Order: sequence, then structure tokens, then C-alpha cells
Amino acid sequence: MSQPAIAVRNLVKEFDLTHSGYSSLKGNLLWWRKKRKERLRAVDDVSFEVRPGECVGVVGKNGAGKSTLLGLLARVYKPTSGEIHLSGTVAPLLELGAGFHPDLTGIENVYFNGVILGLTRKQVTERLEKIIEFSEIGDYVDAPVRSYSSGMLLRLGFSVAVHVDASILLVDEALAVGDIEFQKKCLARIAEFQANGGAILFVSHDMDAVRRAADRVLWMRAGKVYQDGPTEEVLSAYERSGENPPQD
Amino acid sequence: MLSELKELYRYRELLWTFVVRELRIRYKNSVLGFFWSILNPLITVLVMTVVFKYVLNVRVPNYSAYLLAAYLPFMFFQLALLDSAQSILTQLPLLKKIYFPREILPIGSVIANFLHFLLAMGVFFLYLLFVWWMNPGENPFRATVFWLPLLVLLQFCLTLGLALFISALNTFYEDVKYLVSVGLYLLFFLCPILYFVEQVWAATHSPDIPAQWQDTLFTIYNLNPIGMLLVGYRKLMLDPQPITVTRTGDVLETHYLPLDWTMLAIAGAVSVLVMVAGYAYFNKVKWRFVERP
Repeated sequence: MSQPAIAVRNLVKEFDLTHSGYSSLKGNLLWWRKKRKERLRAVDDVSFEVRPGECVGVVGKNGAGKSTLLGLLARVYKPTSGEIHLSGTVAPLLELGAGFHPDLTGIENVYFNGVILGLTRKQVTERLEKIIEFSEIGDYVDAPVRSYSSGMLLRLGFSVAVHVDASILLVDEALAVGDIEFQKKCLARIAEFQANGGAILFVSHDMDAVRRAADRVLWMRAGKVYQDGPTEEVLSAYERSGENPPQD
Repeated sequence: MLSELKELYRYRELLWTFVVRELRIRYKNSVLGFFWSILNPLITVLVMTVVFKYVLNVRVPNYSAYLLAAYLPFMFFQLALLDSAQSILTQLPLLKKIYFPREILPIGSVIANFLHFLLAMGVFFLYLLFVWWMNPGENPFRATVFWLPLLVLLQFCLTLGLALFISALNTFYEDVKYLVSVGLYLLFFLCPILYFVEQVWAATHSPDIPAQWQDTLFTIYNLNPIGMLLVGYRKLMLDPQPITVTRTGDVLETHYLPLDWTMLAIAGAVSVLVMVAGYAYFNKVKWRFVERP
């Protein structure tokens, strides 16, 4: 079998919990009154693998550690312990317009987003036409993005992410917006991405979306992988458990 | 630290994109745009010159040039530190989503302000040439002006080092940016910008101060690295100010204070040290930014 795209072994991530909220200079200067810090294990001894071409859904209650897991894979957090092996480049699909500056035009933002995802400026220039075409923004690319609708922001962000040639795509609830036509286009693009050997890890509360896209599902509970198996098997168990909040 | 530098080099394209973005954003919605970075100091210096020349009766030929020579570098210092203080906090949502070397944010803020500073210095040279053209005879600059790039580089190091400290600290303790803005305001008066270092020399060498303390006091004043660098800017570019010792109206002696290269070297060494320490500190804590409670 080929080398896994994502290999995670005994991954642990702990956070400090302070009850006072924001840390302040005062809090740190009054060291003698400092209480013992509490630690929260957001991700607790997680191990799994994702093969190239596989699409894995991650489900679980709020606070089960799904987003932290994605953050660890995106190298936003440093693991407390454990190992992560990623073969190839990772592209996190940013939330609606994260990293977009409202006063800059669509094109200027495409450059910034493309470069932050690992392209060179030259590569962005080469792909600019394709990115704009896919996003269906048209002439609005020259307008500041503050004038964009949320659907346009999503389309532009998604379009950049799928044009960076990453081999691992991390998706966090990002596909919920956009019209039906564009959603179809996204799913087609994702299928193409998978067919070319790309791996996808996506977090969602939308069971229908998970059913459609995922080959396999990880069910997380209190920081641990509670169940890991074929989509239908895990999802039906998950739905029976009543952990999934009702969809609006 | 070497691996951190390599990683930063790998992301140099992002750093440059970030700088370009900073430059674009600043004056995006203003009519005069980029000109503000020149107009702002010019208007300030014009007002200062009027006040000092005609209200306070400062008798210094070409006083505006002396003001600009110290004010422009100080403006860069001030704006870069205030900008970078907020640089991490404002981008925190992005930091929580995607990896890139975090130091790009404060370094980008400093570089963006540095480019404004270089532009302003260019305009300042044009102004000196204009004064020379109106009033030929004396040279527009001193020959030592060729040392200026080194001085600019040292000031960049000092500013960058402090920016790295401040941006990291302000992410954890938001009081820091208020401390910094008060500190910079006080520093403006503690540095020889509105007045001359020669006047400080005269004040520390007045008969009221015991003779054995006079030189020590003056040395302590020059230990402030940014102040000393500002002294350097003036003395490398412009003619020195005479110190006249007068008693009951009669001029007893006139002499000039040369640039103290030893003190300038100390300021330079401190600047480089601050940069290295700031970078090391930033790298030590940068992973904790996103875990801020």
C-alpha cells in the first residue's frame, strides 16, 4: 500500500485554562496569588491515517476537539506530544474571507491568499485567470472585497484554495454557503482533486454533506477518536447517540 | 535560530506580499494617498520651525533642516513600533487558521514604515539641495554623509528588535501598547530633536554641576541608543552647532562638539543586540500566540 497522506500517531494537545479570561500584566505580576493552572486536553492520544485519494469526515459534538485537530494538521498549533506526518503540501480552506482585506480588490486579495497558501507571486499570476473564472466573480475582481456578498467571498476563497495544487485539503465547515450550482461545482472539483490522489479531511455538522462526500468517518468524543470506520456505519451510530445537534 | 531564519527566507515572498499589502492599505481611501507620508512630517516641521524661530527666538540658521534630520528618523521609529505592536493581534483570526512564520507580521510592519522613511529622506535631500540652490556657497551636506547608510541600517536593527519584543508582548498583555505610546511620547522630549545635543552638553557642563560629574552626566544622556543615533544623523549630514560660552554678555570662547564615535559605536552595538534578542524572544513565544486565552 502507498504511503499515507496524513499519518497521526498518539497526538496530544493541551491548553492552559485560566478562569480570569484575558491574561493581563496585573495577573502575571501578582504571581503569589496565581492559582495552579488547569490544563485542558483538547486532543487526547489520537492516531489515524488518511490515504491519498481518500476523503475523511470528522464528526462530533462542539468541543470534541475537531477544530483543534485540524489546527494541528495546519501547523497552527504545536503538538504537546505525538507525531504528525504529512506527505505533500497542506491547504487549509479558510473560513469565509479569512485573510481577505476588505479595502483591497479581489485580485490583490487573491495574490495575498495564494502566497500565504504557498504559491509564488509568479505562480499566482499564471493561475489568475483560472482562479477568477472558477470563482465566477467576473468584473468584480477589480472592486474592493468589502462590496462582495458572502457567496462571492466564499467562491473566491475556495477558488484560490483549489488552485494551489496542495495534496491535502483541510476543510472546516466552509462549504455550507453558496448556491446549489456552485456547490455542485465544488463537489466536482473535490472529486477531481481526489481522483488525482489528493487527501481531504473535513469537519462538518452537516450529516448530509458528510454522507455525500466522505469515504470514511472519524467520530470524536472528548478529544479521543471514539469510532473510526466506513461512513454509513459510524454515522448511523453517531445519529443514534443523539450527540448531533439538530440542523436548522 | 538558524533554522528559523531559513524558514523565514523560504517565506520571503509572503513577507514582500505582506509589505506591499501594508503599503496599499494605508492610504487606500485617501485622495492624496502616498503623499501623506511626506506631507505629514513637512507640516509638523513647518509649525515647529515657526514656533521656535519666531516665538521662542531660536537663532539657528536653517533650523528646519536640523529638525527634519532628527524628526524623520524618530517618526520612523515611532510609527514602526506603534504599528507592529498591533500587528499580531489584528491578524489573530488568520493566525488561527493557517501556518506561516509569525514574525512576518511585525517585520512587515517595520519594513513598510521603513520604505516611507526612505522616501521622506529622499525628499529631505531634495530640500537641502533646494536650500543650497537658493543660497549657494556652502555645501549642502557634509562629506560624512556617506556614513548615513550604516546609520540607517543600525536604526533599522534597533527598531526591528524592539518591534519584535513589543508585538509579542502586546499579544499577551494589551497594556503594552499604551506603555509604548507613553514611552515614545516622553522619548521625543528626551532625544535631541527639538533642541541640540550641544545644549545638553552646555547644560551638563554648567558651573552648577560638580566638575567630576559633568562628563558622566553627558555620557549617560548619550547612552540612549535612539537619541545617540539621532545625534549621528544630524552630525553626519549637517554642520555642527557652535557652543558659545558667555559671561555677562561677552563671548569667552566658541567651540564645536565633534561626533563621539565611541558612543555611536555603543549605540550601534546595542541596536544589533536588541535585534538578536528580540528575534530570539519572539521565536520562543510565537507558538503561544494562538493559544492566548
